[in-house]
Amino acid sequence: MIPKNDLLKFLKNTTLVVVLVAVAITAIFIATPPDDKHLYQASLLKSNLLHTVPSPRIIIVGGSNVAFGIDSELMEQELGIPVINDGLHVALGIAPLNEIKDYLRPGDIVIISLEYYNFTDEQSFYGQPQYLADWVEFSPERIWYLRDPYKQMPSIFTIMLERKVNRQLNYYLNGFSYEAGRNFYSGDLFNEHGDFIGHLGENGNKQFEIADSVYPINLIESAYVFLEDFNQFALSKGAMVYYEAQAHRQTNCEQTGKKHLDRFFNRLKTKTTIPLLTNLDQLCLPDDYFYDTPYHLNEQGRRVRTERLIDSLKVALGLK
Amino acid sequence: MLFNSFQFLVFFPVVTTLYFLIPHRFRWGLLLAASCYFYMAFIPKYILILFVTITVDYFAGIGLETTQGNRKKWILLASIIANVGMLGFFKYFNFANENIAAFANFIDWNYPIENLSIILPIGLSFHTFQSLSYTIEVYRGHQKAERHYGYLALYVLFYPQLVAGPIERPQNILHQLHEEHHFEYQRVTDGLKWMAWGMFKKVVIADRMALFVNPIYDSPTGHDGPALVFATIAFAIQIYCDFSGYSDIALGSAQVMGIRLMKNFQHPYFARSISEFWRRWHISLSTWFRDYVYIPLGGNRAGARRTAINLLITFLLSGLWHGANWTFVIWGALHGMYIILNHWMEPRWTRLRDSGFAKRFTPALNGLSLLSTFGLVCFAWIFFRASTLPDAFYITTHLFSGWPDFVRQTSSLAQEGIHSGFWGLLSGLFASLNGITDLTRSEIILSIFALVLLLYIEIKQHRGDFLAQFNLKQPVLRYIGYSLLVVIILALGTSYTGVEQAFIYFQF
Repeated sequence: MIPKNDLLKFLKNTTLVVVLVAVAITAIFIATPPDDKHLYQASLLKSNLLHTVPSPRIIIVGGSNVAFGIDSELMEQELGIPVINDGLHVALGIAPLNEIKDYLRPGDIVIISLEYYNFTDEQSFYGQPQYLADWVEFSPERIWYLRDPYKQMPSIFTIMLERKVNRQLNYYLNGFSYEAGRNFYSGDLFNEHGDFIGHLGENGNKQFEIADSVYPINLIESAYVFLEDFNQFALSKGAMVYYEAQAHRQTNCEQTGKKHLDRFFNRLKTKTTIPLLTNLDQLCLPDDYFYDTPYHLNEQGRRVRTERLIDSLKVALGLK
Repeated sequence: MLFNSFQFLVFFPVVTTLYFLIPHRFRWGLLLAASCYFYMAFIPKYILILFVTITVDYFAGIGLETTQGNRKKWILLASIIANVGMLGFFKYFNFANENIAAFANFIDWNYPIENLSIILPIGLSFHTFQSLSYTIEVYRGHQKAERHYGYLALYVLFYPQLVAGPIERPQNILHQLHEEHHFEYQRVTDGLKWMAWGMFKKVVIADRMALFVNPIYDSPTGHDGPALVFATIAFAIQIYCDFSGYSDIALGSAQVMGIRLMKNFQHPYFARSISEFWRRWHISLSTWFRDYVYIPLGGNRAGARRTAINLLITFLLSGLWHGANWTFVIWGALHGMYIILNHWMEPRWTRLRDSGFAKRFTPALNGLSLLSTFGLVCFAWIFFRASTLPDAFYITTHLFSGWPDFVRQTSSLAQEGIHSGFWGLLSGLFASLNGITDLTRSEIILSIFALVLLLYIEIKQHRGDFLAQFNLKQPVLRYIGYSLLVVIILALGTSYTGVEQAFIYFQF
């Protein structure tokens, strides 16, 4: 049915093309290492902290609201427990939470503070492929922290390839890398706890619009199932999990009447057994406390949020 | 299942390998099962709709062959009603209902019927037309009725052309499905090359153009003429590469299995008139309308006025076929008017071109014809792509706004840059485009590189059989070329957004 000569010729030539393609792609990968100024460069520091900081410790995980809005040093001084700031970027969704699972030890305290945006749809919750690809590029074994590694592997790989080609091209065109337009969102502006410190002492641009804030309007059910599963997993490892609300601007609270936020926390309370650390009466912070987006607190806001979190934690841990 | 998905990357080699391994008598079953699986990857239950129409057409075909006279006409009519009825219900019910409701509101009548919450089955317009061509051809005596239910089902469901054509005729495809096809190296590899080229057009160019087009067409009122013109030209390229890319993959994957589908595109943007454009664009649909609508209406046999009316009806229906929206109707009407104008002007234009004086300027006149045809086609694409009629009207009325600012901005950006002269201007243009599109300079350059490659191959194909010529090149050159194409597809493809982009024509 299949002439032997034709088949052999076909297999030989197809193999040749596959080998040539593999060689070309390998060359691109070898010639283009990860961008050392990329914001996600800090993820290596955070992974290292998860690996090396002794337990018991506090791990705060979430998007950039955590990276910008928590003073881990202050927390560590006040609570006497090592603190790791594992917040990085909203687009990674819960992939960093999956990573934490591998490092959980008895006595650890995990504080989850996801952005409301994460709850709007599945991709926002489980992570956006184009960002996950950058995150995986820094540490390829992270592919196993994605929702469906086998299914996502090909697209993550091709996104990575595309980014590398773009980076090379940018390098030749402009003498700098792909992410050169990142402004101050740079991977080398984190302290040894994993806090982003590039914005401290800076005057932020507070002219962002109300519409810039994403409210928790559509809430996906699977998010609560995941969080409860995570909670049960942590408990089985002898760790504890708490939820801390993302900071919210006063103007946004007034505009929305807080109803969406109340709905969000009610659902969190009924669908999971994760204790909430935030006092909901203090959920909204003055607009002046925000830096460049409705997610990022400035130095003043960061201090107020951290102090409130420390107080809540002292109560929750029986230290007060 | 999308051709540009990793799922298909597994599906295709598995099905093709099995196809060549199993005896011929089982192949129809394999292809039918594979085609059902392919279709059911979208919305599984909608396969039942296809089987209802296939069953109706199966019995209608046999009935048409065994009866004569009025009864034969009634059978054809029943088949047409079943097929068109299904299409009408799923595709046009809500459209008609909304328009009736709007009219009712206008005359203060309390109209009680709500829209249905139904999703249009993928590719419904395509397989409905393919089914219709079967019963019509049997009725006309051009095709024998298919007695094997499985083969007729495969004719409608054959996965390469199931969801976006080419809309085949039974005379071309049914006998090929019955024939035994062996593994032939040249045919198989040529098919794979077509698939790779189609994939390049889709994932490298069309999806990249979408990054330019979508932000502007999603909110056109926030943009001026340069952005609107730029997005419209980008859409012209996007839709061509999206649809012809799909057709190339369809033709290639069928060719691997030994089945030759009809060619759907013949470099339409090289057309020098609108009628030539329609001989090159979506050929399977335009010939379908020609054979089953235009000619039965009387074609060009009943005088100029009647011909014009027939053309207009045909193009209005063609517009409506594309989508249940007034934007598509206007798109169809525009092309209908273009064609009527084209018919009226063609003899005069030919006379002018053949005159002694104009002959000296033939290349320039050809270029002018090509550009003006492209311009008219682009203008009509505005209605095709715009989400609403107000959007389309906004775009058409703002095409010439904002150009002085754009030129000023470009020249000032050019002066700010490190280059001077032509490169400075180019650099300024990139910076301006950058502002319009939010894409980085490297992304714009990669897009231009891909477009230049496309143009080069299109010109080569237009002038001759590029693939046959390329097959004669040195093996080293060929294999580097194939590998490079695969690397480009992987590196510059849909991965940019992390999501496989559906083909535009799937929605029809």
